[in-house]
Amino acid sequence: MTLKSVDVILKRLAERPAELAAARAAGAKVVGFQGYSLPEELIHALGLIPLRIGLGGSDRLVELGGRYISTKNCVYVRETVGLFADDTDPYINNSDIFAFDATCLQTFRTAEVVQYYFKKNVLIVGVPRNFYLEEAETYFTAELRHFVSRLEEFAGAKLSFEKLADSIALYDQIRDEILAIYEYQATARPLISWEEVFDVIQAGYVLDRRDYLGLLQALHDELAAGQGAAVIAGADDEARIFISGSVIPPGDKKLISIIDQLGGRVVGDDLWSGLIPYVEVDIKEPTIAAVAWAYLHRTPHGALPYLDLATDGRIARLKSLIGKFKANGVIYHTLRYCDPYTFKAKETKDILENIGIPLLELHTEYAGSDVEAIRTRVEAFIEMIKLKTETGVAA
Amino acid sequence: MASENTVKGIYAGVDVGSLATKSVIIRDGEITGHAIIPSGHNSEESGLTALAQALNNAGLERSDVTHIVSTGYGRITASYATKTVTEITCHAKGANYLFPNVRTIIDIGGQDCKAIRVDPDGTVADFAMNDKCAAGTGRFLEVMAGVFKVPLAQLGELALEAEAIVPMSSTCTVFVESETISLLARGEKPKNIQAGIHHSIALRIAGLFSRVGIRSDVYFSGGVAKNKGMRKALEEVLKVTIVEPVFDPQLTGALGAAVLAEGIGAKAQKRALEAVSAQ
Repeated sequence: MTLKSVDVILKRLAERPAELAAARAAGAKVVGFQGYSLPEELIHALGLIPLRIGLGGSDRLVELGGRYISTKNCVYVRETVGLFADDTDPYINNSDIFAFDATCLQTFRTAEVVQYYFKKNVLIVGVPRNFYLEEAETYFTAELRHFVSRLEEFAGAKLSFEKLADSIALYDQIRDEILAIYEYQATARPLISWEEVFDVIQAGYVLDRRDYLGLLQALHDELAAGQGAAVIAGADDEARIFISGSVIPPGDKKLISIIDQLGGRVVGDDLWSGLIPYVEVDIKEPTIAAVAWAYLHRTPHGALPYLDLATDGRIARLKSLIGKFKANGVIYHTLRYCDPYTFKAKETKDILENIGIPLLELHTEYAGSDVEAIRTRVEAFIEMIKLKTETGVAA
Repeated sequence: MASENTVKGIYAGVDVGSLATKSVIIRDGEITGHAIIPSGHNSEESGLTALAQALNNAGLERSDVTHIVSTGYGRITASYATKTVTEITCHAKGANYLFPNVRTIIDIGGQDCKAIRVDPDGTVADFAMNDKCAAGTGRFLEVMAGVFKVPLAQLGELALEAEAIVPMSSTCTVFVESETISLLARGEKPKNIQAGIHHSIALRIAGLFSRVGIRSDVYFSGGVAKNKGMRKALEEVLKVTIVEPVFDPQLTGALGAAVLAEGIGAKAQKRALEAVSAQ
């Protein structure tokens, strides 16, 4: 049974395109953006409406996008370009300017294609490759200052200390609520599933951020009233799955549906399109430098190079989240040509094997031709986990 | 040979594969019947026909069977089964029944190939499967047999006679077909090309094992395991000795399914005994 507050969020999501069109007619300006290292706080603090754009799961849009961007780019990137070519996505059509970052170089290429072929007004934020060096902070702060100055020109307004402080406080509250709600889905008898929380997180990409905070608070209240405190606990008969790897954007339900149909239970993720952007963002003061520092010191995106696995924050984060959400298996989802994640699958598998967590690597795209092959792999993986916990399939 | 569960009763496994449907009957822990038929368009019918033939081979009736487990690509439509289980789990169980010391399974079926690592109790420790193309599968060899105009069963035997191995630059079924035609036109000996084809599959399988690891003993299951040329190529490329089959390797999945069906029976019998002793 869906929670009332989740229904309200989905209803608000359905109303959002018309609301955006009305806001623009009344003079509001909208920034469509894509990128792990783009601080939304800066867009919001200038009185602009931020929309995180991009969908997945449509082979038609991937094919359409592939006419403009090389097919050696991942399907998510190709579908993003396909959305521009298709010209029917309400969020792209309601954006006045687009911002992309260079965390993933395929995203950077998307920006080039969008500007060249679709004549859109595009901003780019450079992201330091050596994100762990002191010089990276200097570079990224300068990039964000340049980004803000371009947005100021576009908005016709100056970024103020007070407005940035307000926006940071708002986003901090949103992050806190998401983290609190997320814990409920991993409890023994949850009122909300991981998939519903995932949908709620992704609804926040486009909803008005202040409205969104209210909706999250209502959901948190409903969960607390129905369940009390969130106590994360597993059951003996469960295959508790953690999803890692490439982005799973709104619209891409292929893997999530298969896991659900086969009796697996997703209890956690470290996806760019899931939990990870909300974890440990610590903006210490309302300045561009502090925002840059906080975004650089989050869990790094998979596309950023870092050689030493023993001190890699991504691995440390993955292990700590697996433990926190009591997962007993990891499905490592990689999109074809999403090289940053695909290349690291084996190392990640070896590291997790050492702590007794099996990892299943699934390499896929949005076409339906591999659904049955993925189903067999996921089913065997769930059988393996259940047999190891002496349940499920008769041994 | 006896099942680890060794419970009284008759249990059946049915493996509906892409090219062949197999069934194995276990009675009181021993294999008593089996059958292999070509898969038809209707998976359920294929499964039922193979089951009927295996029961006939064992001198039994359908009503004698306590539990049936189905596996393979056609498992989803097996309404006759008590339970459906993936072929990965079933191959592990089947190999463990035949050879308890087996820790690694190479399974080459009609449309996929798998590398499976097995724990001592016959549960899957890890596995990897080929991507979604036909390279390195039974279907690939079937196409190649067509190119050489020889029966599929002879392809491996011919490769064993090779004087040299002609390296193939691709494992794509379509590209290897055209490459083979070019090599024949260039005057390469068919048996040397056939050895090259088997080695290209073995190299692809080696790629799968780089992900899951390989430990002795090694068992080769699936229809392609009957191909001696393939077996030799795998031993050379993987630098392992594959255990000699004691039962038709094409039936390993169906056997594992029968063992799992027997396990369901064992659990039911245990529950019944516990209920009696609790009274």
